[in-house]
Amino acid sequence: MRKTLAVLVASVGLLLSAAPMWAHHAFASEFDEKKPLKLHGVVTKWELVNPHSWIHLDVKNPDGTVTAWTIEGGSPNALFRLGFTKNSLPEGTELIIEGYQAKDGANRGVGAKLTYMDGKSLFLKPAGEDK
Amino acid sequence: MRGWFERWFGGLIVVASAVAACLVFSVIPVSGQAPAPAYKAPRTKDGKADLNGIWEAIDTANWDLRAHAAAQGPVLSLGAEFSIPPGPGVIEGDGEIPYLPAAAEQQKKNFANRLALDPEVKCYMGGVPRSTYMPYPFQIIQSPKTITMHYEFAGAFRSINMEKPTEAPADSWMGWSTGHWEGDTLVVVVTDQNDQTWFDRAGDFHSNALKVTERYTPRSTDVLMYEATIEDPKTFSRPWKISVPLYRHVEKNAQIMEYKCNEFAEEVLYGKYRKQSSK
Amino acid sequence: MNHRVLASTLAAAVLLAAPLFAQAPAASTKTAPAAAVKTPAAAATAIPRTADGHPDFSGVFSNASAVPVARPANCGTKEVYTPEDLAAGMGGARGCGAAAAGGGRGGAGRGGAGRGAAGRGAANIDPETGQPALQVHYDVSQFGLDATHATRAASLRTSIITGPEGKLPPLTPEAQKRQADLRAYNAQHQWDGPESRPLGERCIMWPAEGPPMMPEGYNSDLQISQGPGYVAVTQEMIHDTRIIPTDGRPHLPANVQQWFGDPRGHWEGDTLVVETTNFTNRTTLQQAPTTDKMKVTERFTRVDANTVKYQFTVDDPGTWTKPWSGELNMTKIDSPLYEYACHEGNYGMANNLSGQRAVEKKAAEQK
Repeated sequence: MRKTLAVLVASVGLLLSAAPMWAHHAFASEFDEKKPLKLHGVVTKWELVNPHSWIHLDVKNPDGTVTAWTIEGGSPNALFRLGFTKNSLPEGTELIIEGYQAKDGANRGVGAKLTYMDGKSLFLKPAGEDK
Repeated sequence: MRGWFERWFGGLIVVASAVAACLVFSVIPVSGQAPAPAYKAPRTKDGKADLNGIWEAIDTANWDLRAHAAAQGPVLSLGAEFSIPPGPGVIEGDGEIPYLPAAAEQQKKNFANRLALDPEVKCYMGGVPRSTYMPYPFQIIQSPKTITMHYEFAGAFRSINMEKPTEAPADSWMGWSTGHWEGDTLVVVVTDQNDQTWFDRAGDFHSNALKVTERYTPRSTDVLMYEATIEDPKTFSRPWKISVPLYRHVEKNAQIMEYKCNEFAEEVLYGKYRKQSSK
Repeated sequence: MNHRVLASTLAAAVLLAAPLFAQAPAASTKTAPAAAVKTPAAAATAIPRTADGHPDFSGVFSNASAVPVARPANCGTKEVYTPEDLAAGMGGARGCGAAAAGGGRGGAGRGGAGRGAAGRGAANIDPETGQPALQVHYDVSQFGLDATHATRAASLRTSIITGPEGKLPPLTPEAQKRQADLRAYNAQHQWDGPESRPLGERCIMWPAEGPPMMPEGYNSDLQISQGPGYVAVTQEMIHDTRIIPTDGRPHLPANVQQWFGDPRGHWEGDTLVVETTNFTNRTTLQQAPTTDKMKVTERFTRVDANTVKYQFTVDDPGTWTKPWSGELNMTKIDSPLYEYACHEGNYGMANNLSGQRAVEKKAAEQK
């Protein structure tokens, strides 16, 4: 009985019963799918706040100037439960961020794909990636 | 024979009664000498002082922790309704907050710009200790492993861990609370608060190195003494301490009501982004 | 000295000394151990109890669930799966249809979204197309916010909604009109200002908070604390607490309306029954705009040391043609509630509105 219950829990359909997670978040108005981003930068601050966390990074431009970018991420609470802390993304860490820029043109974006320089994903494996 | 025995025994009794009387009278306080015996609160199931209840501070500490005379409030059109009431201050010792020089300058700037900067205006949670002495009730719900505190303002909440201390993963508005008992006093150490909250409406502030040690001591059935020691080496030159009595809401059916004030702060926060033609 | 004087002096000495001894017992109770005194019945079920003998619900729980709110059509009136059903691959959104070969793993679900390699990707599936969504959004599984990271209580139910139909009753004509009016308003005004945004975006309340409390997409956690005469239920999003008095007091006057209503609890045996009234008419439940006459009844029953059964009934004659009920389990989790300071960190509201103003400005300039 217990084993089959575990099977039920494990083999559950993946279309969630609750409203889609993004229903609360009007991403359609904040970020522009017509403005894709690929940033290579260095972490200056990791803001572990809700409803979204934010990675602040300094991005060196081709002309040598540096632009400060702010990248939106998810609620950090699940990361806390998995043992991540404010020390898990230290200042100075080099990252590559692919995402989309804010509609109002600010140096702000949403990070759809977050990796270290070696291609290893930040925090956990993203959707669709196998071991 | 009877005579000497009686005399000996009688003397012993006299001595014994005298000793007993001395012992008894040393416990019964003589006014002006030893302090009144400490109040013993009712006990919870696990033998601790029972702090359950709805409590509220009666003071003007939320306006200004220091002693202050009455003064004009920051919104002139609200006249006397929103003027600053006087208060004798809640800071122990010389009544001053021992700012480091740079921090003292920052506090003056905060005060000058307090309508724009005070997190209370924006309905941000008050942090600790401000949430304790804001002029709204809060409720303590006590169990052996956890004591929860529910504040009416902004529906702020914190859970005090009464078991083995753990570490906060990150800073938060209401901090990370670890508690233990010292007799009938609940001692709570609050760490890992962010630097966004103030102590009062007068611009008194802190860094994220703040550590608050709270002491809740039952004084009588309906009064809980609250003391908080403030330590923040980035902001202050030494620790300092406030004390504020908390009074029990004894009216029938007292309850914490909903005070989700964020919608009342929306004009302040987002008014400038509003679509103009819709006004 | 004669015997009488002797006797009375002795008596006096004893009387004077009596208070000394009377104090001693008080001192010895001060350090009473914390262990609860267990009755044989309580020990057998391992359900902790408070001093007044009621079950103690204190703890931190997850009410995340794999059970859909409404019953999949192919389950008909079936409320509960059997172990054989599960082994045959039934469950979740698949409902009572048999899975493809492979017994529930890698089977083709609706819209071709299967398990296995693509499993995690389902968290970013566009609900309208059933295809992986254009990722104009952070990746939820990177942050542990997808379904595979949620702790769920086991449940054999086919749907949260109970009863033979297993779905919401029809909306009343008035409710349909309110819904239509709301949609019409939003089509024109949804970006006017903060007050025209959904309550979740304003960080006033999350839709699943209720009551009734429904599973959230993530952070579906709550903390219950219990003291004499009160049970407090705090949901992680958005740190909202409902403090439920159990002392039999009346509700607040009807003109006092609160986002989460006004709860009153009482005990029926080992079940905590909570009746909530005094709602506003500004909230929606399961996408229906509800009235201020709504009444929600919840029942909390401790099944064992780790599980609480949560049942509820929603009664709003102005919204649904009849009351509807649901049931799900909550399971204890080994972590505290983490602060979800939504309003304090709500950069999104300013960003969304300013983004929309930028779009409008661009559109006006292009005219």
